[in-house]
Amino acid sequence: MTADALLLPVPFGFARAGTRQRRPNEPMDEAKFEAFYRKTAGPLWSYVYRLTGDAATADDLTQKTFFRYLRSNPVVENEDHRRRYVFKTATNLVFDHFRETKRERLTEVFDLPHAEMRADRGELRHDMARVFNELKPQERALLWLAHVEGSSHEEIADTLGVKTKSVKVMLFRARKRLGEMLTAKGLAPEGVR
Amino acid sequence: MNAMSEACRYEADVIYAAANDAWSESLRAHVASCEECAATAAVGPWMSGFARIDERERPLPDPAVLWLKAKLMQGSNTMERATQPITRLQIAAYLVIASGWAALLMWKGSALMAWFDAFKPNRIVSVPVPATLSITVLFAAVGLLSATVMLAFHTVLAEE
Repeated sequence: MTADALLLPVPFGFARAGTRQRRPNEPMDEAKFEAFYRKTAGPLWSYVYRLTGDAATADDLTQKTFFRYLRSNPVVENEDHRRRYVFKTATNLVFDHFRETKRERLTEVFDLPHAEMRADRGELRHDMARVFNELKPQERALLWLAHVEGSSHEEIADTLGVKTKSVKVMLFRARKRLGEMLTAKGLAPEGVR
Repeated sequence: MNAMSEACRYEADVIYAAANDAWSESLRAHVASCEECAATAAVGPWMSGFARIDERERPLPDPAVLWLKAKLMQGSNTMERATQPITRLQIAAYLVIASGWAALLMWKGSALMAWFDAFKPNRIVSVPVPATLSITVLFAAVGLLSATVMLAFHTVLAEE
């Protein structure tokens, strides 16, 4: 992504998403759905999995998200909007799941051995997941959306149902917290070179 | 929106540079002076590496299956909505009949029991049946019985 791309204004339709007029919505046909699903289901599953820490729950909630999408047949302006819609639905389902199960951290947190002591890649992978699961669900969602999905603050705000101006502070805190945890566990990357 | 709440305009560039280890001199200089971007750069490579780990053990369900399931669910939801008034009416009928039976048994329970007792074989042989049940009660009992049987049949047929 270039610096110029960053300076482009937020699309008008997205910024006024709450106030736009509803227009008759064309029902999605099977071929369109299949194309959309093939493009979105994998990243969506990863997002849900990283939020919940459980593969079976991620399977279930990903399916539910697409069912909801098909049932509601929302008015969308473009593919990006459609993608954001399913991520928002999935986020709501994940937080509902946490409320129902009263469980936000799905893996037990142990003291991790120092990076040098970890023998194989599998264990390192496991440690990475454990560190991520120590964060609060909202922090996990913020970091994933910003760093993996490449969402802007406006898009994150829309997905998480928070104010756009709060995202900057929340994201900064989440990054700081993750950075501190990584340093403490000896997993911190080298940084700017 | 004031400057305090606005995202740094280089944030996306910093995320990209941190993920791909593609730093330009100007971006490096910016990160050194921007606390927000420094925090982004500190976790960026880790997040990128973490995102690359594929933990999925099972393939995702086929979209055609999901589409079909969604359509079936839509169909059953429509049917549920359509049959809702009938279900409500059925529940109301159950309540009315149950109250009818309760009222009848409270009002003429003992008379009904005596009347039934009169049909026991030993009573038929020894004593003639006394006409202790009024025609109104008999009609009420027969009416309630018929309504109960009809409702039961209706429930069974509706289920099928």
